[in-house]
Amino acid sequence: MSEMNESRRALIKGLGLGLATCPFALGAARAEAPAQASAVTAAPQAGATSSSDRISPFGAHQPGIATPRPAWGMVASFDAIVDTPADLERLLRRLTERIRFLTSGGAVPQVDPKLPPLDSGILGPVLRPDGLTVTLGLGSSLFERHAWLAAHRPAQLVRMTSFPNDALDADLCHGDIALQFCANTQDTIIHALRDVLKNLPDQLVLRWKQEGNVPVIPPQPPGVMESARNFLGFRDGSGNPDAADEALMARVLWVETPDWTAEGSYMAVRIIRNFVERWDRTPLTEQERIFGRTKITGAPLDQPAGSEADVPDYAADPEGEKVALDSHIRLANPRDEAGERHLMLRRPFNYSNGVTRSGQLDQGLLFIAWQASLEDGFLAAQTRLNGEPLEEYIKPVGGGYFFAPPGFSDAADDYLGRQLIDAIGRTPRKT
Amino acid sequence: MKTLPLAALLLATTAPAFAEQAALDLVAPIAEYKLYVTENTETLVDETRAFTEAVKAGDVEKAKALFAPTRLSYERIEPVAELFADLDAPIDARADDYEQAEADPEFTGFHRLEYALWVEGKTDHVTAIADKLQSDVEELAKRIDGLTFPPAVVVGGASVLMDEVAATKISGEEDRYSRTDLWDFHGNFDGAYKIVELFGPHVEDKDFLASVEGNFAKANETLAKYREGEGFVSYEKLTDEDRRRLSALVNTLAEDLATLRGRLGLG
Repeated sequence: MSEMNESRRALIKGLGLGLATCPFALGAARAEAPAQASAVTAAPQAGATSSSDRISPFGAHQPGIATPRPAWGMVASFDAIVDTPADLERLLRRLTERIRFLTSGGAVPQVDPKLPPLDSGILGPVLRPDGLTVTLGLGSSLFERHAWLAAHRPAQLVRMTSFPNDALDADLCHGDIALQFCANTQDTIIHALRDVLKNLPDQLVLRWKQEGNVPVIPPQPPGVMESARNFLGFRDGSGNPDAADEALMARVLWVETPDWTAEGSYMAVRIIRNFVERWDRTPLTEQERIFGRTKITGAPLDQPAGSEADVPDYAADPEGEKVALDSHIRLANPRDEAGERHLMLRRPFNYSNGVTRSGQLDQGLLFIAWQASLEDGFLAAQTRLNGEPLEEYIKPVGGGYFFAPPGFSDAADDYLGRQLIDAIGRTPRKT
Repeated sequence: MKTLPLAALLLATTAPAFAEQAALDLVAPIAEYKLYVTENTETLVDETRAFTEAVKAGDVEKAKALFAPTRLSYERIEPVAELFADLDAPIDARADDYEQAEADPEFTGFHRLEYALWVEGKTDHVTAIADKLQSDVEELAKRIDGLTFPPAVVVGGASVLMDEVAATKISGEEDRYSRTDLWDFHGNFDGAYKIVELFGPHVEDKDFLASVEGNFAKANETLAKYREGEGFVSYEKLTDEDRRRLSALVNTLAEDLATLRGRLGLG
């Protein structure tokens, strides 16, 4: 207990926020994020993180969405064994119990050595929170399977369908439940996954998982940050909306409805293989033309001496002489009215899985995008991107769409997904 | 931490109750289990003889009909059979245990014959493998006969069986040519349940036992949907939904039964 407070204090102190955080963690996740790191996709800096970092699991919104992206992330997809509303509530409550424990840290309970240990032990006898967030997403299949759930399906939640450049592998797609684990180190996310699997074997059956990371860069001077690079060598996330702008986030990220889905967010996950050998054989000018940015700084090509933070001026470049009309950034966000409406928050990781049968590297992007409207966010952006020149170098092979329910509070009886259970009509909340 | 999981607390506080008294009480169930294994081994030897003779006689249809029922006895006692790795591999290994898969000269036993019957459709080239399988099975029976059953291995066998199903069988890898996997599931469930049946009365936590029994019942209920005659339909008939359910049940049983040794005071 004291240790947790200590690490929490250390984090808050490190962020220069003093002790003036609100007691009920509504929005605490945002309060804990330093202003400069408002770009969630800023590259993590060496020495800036610690195993004591604690990101509160409580709040109006789930963490792992608008909170800064740490070095490691994973999406794991599960089939849920659920027949009744009580089963679903039991799953959600037990999952919440694990999330509370894993994100707080502390001593792992010990049992009689004649029994299997309760914990994998890969982080030692005392868990450090290590910046861990666990974000729950619900898939459309969960809602379709039961009549008592069908009426509560989030309005825009659909099953992912194939785009023209996709080559979807059924074994890497969809799922009733997705869990996104993010933390400073790989061991922490693996530990968290193994903990959940061991504690909920009767209700969660693993379908697929993909983990990834982003490169940690050397410490930067105060106020300086840059977006992390993807496996094509380009900075990824430069065009992301500012996560510190609450009004903007309210529009981009959080669902505004009168039903249980309010303050939730849609999650689009795509496992996008990159043909890195082919990419590395492509002239730099062509690589830059395909993206619309310089490779070294990330500046848009209409301001090549600028920085990645500069906004391209398409009105001054109507023919695409500087930033090609079919470049990735121009198609993804045309910076017009439609572009403004179609914002989403990308929070991806790079993955490296091994070698294909052809002896090529199986590397790519674990693309994760969050939005208040799947139609206006990812679906609209991807539709504009269909046929882009970058497609020659990438191949989406898996993923799925999920809905992240709103957050939960630190009240002892609260749990993730309670709003859904309440909506179903099973509302015997004690207190 | 106030959020210490309830289950963990319960286990932690009841842990010292796992008594040392166990060892003596277990003599009777171990003797009974040995009897069970011996009966199954005898059946295995007899049925393997009929199976391999059909293979050698070139009677492909008869051999196919005998394949799955013959394996049943082996699947029931797998944790004991696996104590003899030098026999388990040649009897029951799969093609992917070998570098050259089906073409590997080391690939023998049930699954090599399964490959001959279902894929190659002939048996004249595998008569030596049939003979070897019969002699391996007989050797196994002899060794089991002389074996002093170690209590921890016997009791631990229940979760080993469930682990096996969870790790490499639920996906339909075991009997990939014949699609008789559901027979093997059934054998594994039988074998694991026998251990629970014999040792369960010595477990103090009756809620635990009730939960384990309930999960076995659910698994059998699910499998029963696929019954046909004396056995089961093809693995391909197993729906995704039921495969998911079986997966969850098997994983839960594997987790729960992994505590059985400790609950009986066995290290």
